[in-house]
Amino acid sequence: MAKESKGLTKVKEIYQDRPRRVKELKAEGRKVIGYLCAYPVLEMMTALDLVPYRVLGNMREPITKADACLPTMVCPFLRSSLDLALKDEYEFLDGMAMAHICDVGERMAHIWKTYRHYPYFYFMDVPHTVHKAALEKFKEEIKGFKKSLESFTRKELSSEKLKKAIKVHNDQRTLVRELYDLRKPDPPLVSATQVLQVMLALESIPVEEGNELLREVIDEIKERQEGPQKQAARLLIWGSIIDDVSLIETIESVGANIVMDDICVGTRFYWPEVEITQDPLDGLAYRYLVGIKCPRTCREVISDQTKKAYAADLENRFGYLKDYIKAWNVNGVILQSVRYCDTHGYEVPAVRDYLNSLGLPNTYLEHDYSQGSLAPLRTRIQAFLEILG
Amino acid sequence: MYFAGVDIGSTMTKVMIMAEDERTCSQVIGPTGAEHRRLANKVMEEALQQANLPFDEISYVVATGYGRVNVPFADRQITELTCHAKGVSSLFPNVRTAIDIGGQDAKGMKINQGNLVDFAMNDKCAAGTGRFLEVISDALGIKVEDLGKISLKSTKKVEISSVCTIFAQQEVISHLSEGTPLEDIVAGLHDAIAGRVVRMVKRLKIEPDVVLTGGVAKNVGVVRAIRENLGCELLVPEDPLLTGALGAAILGKEIVLKALAKGEAIPRKGRRLEEATFFN
Repeated sequence: MAKESKGLTKVKEIYQDRPRRVKELKAEGRKVIGYLCAYPVLEMMTALDLVPYRVLGNMREPITKADACLPTMVCPFLRSSLDLALKDEYEFLDGMAMAHICDVGERMAHIWKTYRHYPYFYFMDVPHTVHKAALEKFKEEIKGFKKSLESFTRKELSSEKLKKAIKVHNDQRTLVRELYDLRKPDPPLVSATQVLQVMLALESIPVEEGNELLREVIDEIKERQEGPQKQAARLLIWGSIIDDVSLIETIESVGANIVMDDICVGTRFYWPEVEITQDPLDGLAYRYLVGIKCPRTCREVISDQTKKAYAADLENRFGYLKDYIKAWNVNGVILQSVRYCDTHGYEVPAVRDYLNSLGLPNTYLEHDYSQGSLAPLRTRIQAFLEILG
Repeated sequence: MYFAGVDIGSTMTKVMIMAEDERTCSQVIGPTGAEHRRLANKVMEEALQQANLPFDEISYVVATGYGRVNVPFADRQITELTCHAKGVSSLFPNVRTAIDIGGQDAKGMKINQGNLVDFAMNDKCAAGTGRFLEVISDALGIKVEDLGKISLKSTKKVEISSVCTIFAQQEVISHLSEGTPLEDIVAGLHDAIAGRVVRMVKRLKIEPDVVLTGGVAKNVGVVRAIRENLGCELLVPEDPLLTGALGAAILGKEIVLKALAKGEAIPRKGRRLEEATFFN
């Protein structure tokens, strides 16, 4: 058997063949549960020895089967993930944990159930607000999720098991922050392309294996000599899910270093930690509903129509960006979304207003989630970098 | 010193050679065609001949436009957005908004003191570009150059409702068969293209002075329609096709003067004047 690869080499291997590890684990008798977005509670799955696996699309694969099942205005990411399922690429899953992520994502849950018949299937409602009542409702929802997993595994999910799982997942979050710290220097010690590969690898393997991989990767990056070149532009990328390196590579190859992100395979997924509460469900409910900063959750609280109220509202919704920008020394932001992503498309004007109020140059790219749609973006990216000077 | 700007657009290639005092030494416009890789050096040679200059006397070459990566003799490639902003500003110092309607794209540029500060682009859809007018004039059996003056005769423009060029073509044909006067159809088409472009540029918060460039700016009907859609004055340069190449040449001059002021060597990267191959 070939020598077990480590660190960034292993990351690349996982990125190029994501299901390999979970297929190996299945052969050993483990069960794999797929999830589409950041809301299904990972800790619960881990606590019952289930392996959570992030279901993604494939922008290099033309969509041929999903069009027969979906209307036009479904974002190409969700369309692609269903297309792959219809092509039996996700037959290795023992189940799907779905949630009301966005409107289309919610409908997708029911469409997946129609076309795929997994032993386990659960749909979790996720409120769109963060008020007290919403949090209480969400706690009930994750309680339901817990019960369904207990029923599927025929095991009890004790408070103790859950607390253990929370610790391991929190450890991963801490390690990810350590990795991201390596992007603060100028030039950053690791490119956004490699970071994205790491993130997607972590979402394809069990959490403990991910933690070990992260430790290897962090050490390797600290020790190695070759890293990104210094560039004038230090960018933050905001927006819809990015599950392929090509967009990131395109931006970095035009002449920029992406040093930070606000996307759901990056900081949105890892930044919020679970607070250790007496009833672990409280900490979990808070972390997932309130902690995850995705535009699908509404935090607007405009008391009146004055400029001051608007500015205060923007600060409340996007103030965390200011912290990222300062700490990672960001000098430009690229907002991006896939076509038909209402969640992000509708949020763009407010985010741009906020960034403009900080005096931070920013631009918005809408793309089609396909290889072909990247070439026209080069001109826009280059023009933006020329504006940055 | 002399500076050259090479603007390889999707439809036309433009070269401008400029002296240090920004006087034009020569300018050449030719169709890009399918083989633009082979073409850039030929157009450059023509421009050099016109200016009576050998290639070695050009201090700096900036390439722009969609074909800018295929100019092996260029020292730098800069996007057409930045180049147009620079070129338009040199002709109209008070410009704040520039609109460029090319053969296959349309751009809006926000400018502050000669520098690009924001932009909007359409390079996905033919409606709202020169291609739209080409397709329709083909369907109408008239020359693209005649569209403008035909439209000015209209007293009651028709409403073209389709957003797509191909469907607009269908609408045009059904109008023709109903006996609608040609000038009213053409005026309606100009309104359609103007509306699309202005809607795109409005994302930038339009401020005067507003300047229109690109091949389509030579069409008086489109100019009138854009003025109406904008609701403000619209300036058009004498050579609306050359602002990209002009801006590119000016940027080349700025790069060279900056290097010389710092006591650095001129940062040339360009190779010999030869056609692009796949191994560049």
